[in-house]
Amino acid sequence: MGLAPVISTAGLTKHYGTVHALTDLTVEVGDGVTGLVGANGAGKSTLIKVLLGLLEPTGGHASVLGHDIEHEGQEIRRLVGYMPEHDCLPPDVSASDFVVHMARMSGLGASAARERAADVLRHVGLDEERYRPMGGYSTGMKQRAKLAQALAHDPRLVFLDEPTNGLDPAARTDMLNLVRRIGTEFGIAALVTSHLLGELEQVSDHVIVLDGGHLLRSSATGDFLQRTGGLLVEVVGTETERDRLGEALAQRGLTCRPRGTMVAIDPPPPELAEGGAVHDLIRDVAADLGLGLMRLQPDRRHLEDVFLEGGTRV
Amino acid sequence: MSDLSPDAGRPGVIHDLGYRHFDGAREGTPAIARTLFVTGLRHAYGLGRSGKSKVMPFVLLAMSLLPATIVVGVVVLTGLGELPVSYADYTNQTQLLVSLFAAAQAPVLFSRDLRHRSIVLYLARPLPAPLFAVVRWASLTLAIFLFTAIPTVVLFAGAMLAGLDKSDQTTAVLKAVVLQALLALMLAGVSGLISSVSLRRGFAVVGSVMALIVLTGIVTVLQNIAYYEGDSETVPVALGLFSPWSLVNGLANAWDAGVDTPVPVDGAWVPAYAIVAVLLVAACLLGLVARFRKVGSR
Ligand SMILES: Nc1ncnc2c1ncn2[C@@H]1O[C@H](COP(=O)(O)OP(=O)(O)O)[C@@H](O)[C@H]1O
Ligand SMILES: [Mg+2]
Repeated sequence: MGLAPVISTAGLTKHYGTVHALTDLTVEVGDGVTGLVGANGAGKSTLIKVLLGLLEPTGGHASVLGHDIEHEGQEIRRLVGYMPEHDCLPPDVSASDFVVHMARMSGLGASAARERAADVLRHVGLDEERYRPMGGYSTGMKQRAKLAQALAHDPRLVFLDEPTNGLDPAARTDMLNLVRRIGTEFGIAALVTSHLLGELEQVSDHVIVLDGGHLLRSSATGDFLQRTGGLLVEVVGTETERDRLGEALAQRGLTCRPRGTMVAIDPPPPELAEGGAVHDLIRDVAADLGLGLMRLQPDRRHLEDVFLEGGTRV
Repeated sequence: MSDLSPDAGRPGVIHDLGYRHFDGAREGTPAIARTLFVTGLRHAYGLGRSGKSKVMPFVLLAMSLLPATIVVGVVVLTGLGELPVSYADYTNQTQLLVSLFAAAQAPVLFSRDLRHRSIVLYLARPLPAPLFAVVRWASLTLAIFLFTAIPTVVLFAGAMLAGLDKSDQTTAVLKAVVLQALLALMLAGVSGLISSVSLRRGFAVVGSVMALIVLTGIVTVLQNIAYYEGDSETVPVALGLFSPWSLVNGLANAWDAGVDTPVPVDGAWVPAYAIVAVLLVAACLLGLVARFRKVGSR
């Protein structure tokens, strides 16, 4: 790309007393959506807090948007948005008032803040509810409000810490779509964490896997697919629809078998794995058959192999 | 699809504008701090918050204004030659209300963000944690100062209406205002620190009441016992160092601002009172900064 990376770390280490939350992490994050994946306690939230300048690293260096985390934390916090993992919304304030206030705390003037808050709340899908106190919100609405405040000041980069946590499947899909849009349509780089291994591949351009504070892998999502190979596809309907899709895909040269309500596809031949061609193929086949595609994701059982390859427990 | 140009504006179709970037001016840290300061000051009086949260501050303010308006009425109607109570002593006489105001409103500025964890959203923004703490303290200080200064202004207006000597009154008012400022700095520090540590509003209020009202009561009682039972004046004066109210009243007494203390504060005690007051403010401020630094790194 020739551009400076959005985030780059060198030997970044963070110990809490005897707990080694991050160990010698050297990694680069570029534009678009980057998934930061790892089991609970892997060090994902710690990494974000260190990058925000909220925690001092025990060792190593890092820069965010070209600013050194050690000396230019304030400059970084001007340019980034942060959606924390845990609850952080005052219950007696409306999302609208809160997002306006948070935009002002990022340096927007009063009228700009109001305008941005209205825009951003619309984008995250909080409509009339935005005038109600947030204490009465569902988890899905709270997550949206948290996301809205992170976007309020039009950051260049957002840190989204477990944005799908606690959401039901429908809300989870909505949130992941929003994350995708942030990276593409909004043009804001995003570092998104999840403790669910398979979840982020659908929306991220790049995936970083942490395990016990160590970097296990960092690669483009495409490489991940190639490496792990298999895919899972689910279409709207019953077993009949499932089998129709499976048969049609088999005719196109893919090895398929049913798994639950889904079709499991073995690693495709090289010419199809290249550049996501297999994704297009599946989409086209489903469209030709008039089947609604519900889910298309890498076969998680294969992704977990990444951990086995790494020689560590999951 | 392909024949739809972006501005094919068909009537009746609401266009989604898509995501718009913000390329206007962004304010620097001082402007952000100022915004936080003003918001905090308003919130201390329940302004910009729910209707319910305005009740407590304004009821207390009305109660502390009521005697002042009565005094003004009496002075204007009867043509008394002086105010029956000095400006500084008026604040002292209403100290229960002032302390209650500080105790009740400090949690608004110092507990809420910590309890609901919205503090992480602030600290992920440009204002550094220590500055956040200082700005919050400044908001509460000004809120408490206004609480004591508003009745003073009413009294002064009454004194002018009654035709009392302008230069005498002005001197007395200025002394009272300086003492009120010092008082506000201390009360905001003490109640703010307590609220930032005990995040449950009830506990924070009780803690501040203990520190500001009960402690002051104990100090006053002990001062009187020491004065009537003992034969030295040192003990009662020294006891006055142990509460914000007795510190301010001692300084008011030494400064001839019209406040009686069990024993006059004079000589080396005056700088001692002043130093302890300043140290108390500094200690509370350092405590607040340390507290917010700590929550910032969690
Ligand atoms: N403030 C803290 N004090 C001590 N240990 C901590 C603290 N925060 C996190 N840890 C520990 O550091 C490790 C990484 O935590 P975290 O970054 O929250 O992981 P993740 O977000 O991936 O679940 C865990 O073992 C956790 O218990
Ligand atoms: Mg976490």
